[in-house]
Amino acid sequence: MTYSPLTEEQRDALKEISNIGMGHAATALSQLLGETVYLRVPRVTETDIIQVPDLFGGADQVVAGITLQMLGEARGNILLIFPRESANRLLGRLLRREGETPVFDELSTSTLKEVGNILASAFLNALGSLLGMTLIPSVPLLAYDMVGAVIDYVLVELFQSGDRAILVETEFHGEDPGQEVVQGHFFLLPEPETLEVLLGR
Amino acid sequence: MIFRERVGISQFRVAQAPALLVAHGLGSCVGIALYDPRPRLGALAHTLLPALRSGLENSRPGKFVDTAICAMVEELLGRGAKRERLRAKVAGGANMFEQNFATDEGVGARNARSARETLARLDIPLLAEDTGGSHGRTLEFDLATGAIQVRTIRGGATLLTL
Repeated sequence: MTYSPLTEEQRDALKEISNIGMGHAATALSQLLGETVYLRVPRVTETDIIQVPDLFGGADQVVAGITLQMLGEARGNILLIFPRESANRLLGRLLRREGETPVFDELSTSTLKEVGNILASAFLNALGSLLGMTLIPSVPLLAYDMVGAVIDYVLVELFQSGDRAILVETEFHGEDPGQEVVQGHFFLLPEPETLEVLLGR
Repeated sequence: MIFRERVGISQFRVAQAPALLVAHGLGSCVGIALYDPRPRLGALAHTLLPALRSGLENSRPGKFVDTAICAMVEELLGRGAKRERLRAKVAGGANMFEQNFATDEGVGARNARSARETLARLDIPLLAEDTGGSHGRTLEFDLATGAIQVRTIRGGATLLTL
């Protein structure tokens, strides 16, 4: 099954439900960090597969990417992308470590996965109660590498049949007392069938 | 100035020396380079999936390993390459997320296997290969020499010339 273009109304609806869900995820992150987390209004993008790596900041950028599947009546993928520096700062704060944190050790890996789990659960709880569905996240997977390499695995199922997909994206960042801000991107890539469920079309 | 062309995910490009073909950030994707050293003409594909699932229509040959290789051969021959001089190099096909079901062959491994099998079927020698592992790769294919540099983020930029 492939995507059909969204109407203006459907686009707004998708933006609105994502805004509420992602708002809950930002609140969860703000509780974890103990500071206010700001969220940009989500963007709904209909995109060709070739452009996808650019939407994630360019294929070569080094990031920590956490991916979870959305399971239940609506299906799709959730991706959390933290640029390298932000991932290190996030770990530094959560683990109360000083300076540069090696992203590869086991404690860091499981901490980032847990962050993904908490944010995705907050997002799916809000989305589920809004739509009257039970939505649960799968076990989170983590990769620390070039963003193109982190996301292509997620694109495999999504682009099996079509060449276009709908992607909902927002950016969040903590309070900015200087250069130490934690920022990241939250992405939702719904499966084509799920768009119909989400938008009731 | 050397012409440098980017090969995006699900694309392939044909180019002649002096030129560089670059595929950024391959994870489970596989990069397949074909080269005819005489006219220094080659092609690079950045493929997502091993093969087209039967019953589906293929609008984009560059997305699948088998159709990308066939389309590149056709275009190279059309531009003056000789079939018997064609040679191949393959890189990518990683398994980015360590998973517990180790018995299951991941899509990265299936991509690499599909490349080997398709090349064998077309009788194109596979000169070098850097596949598998759990790290991303950026490929830079130099049409002047036929060499491919594989960059990873492990320990800075690792240069490996296939």
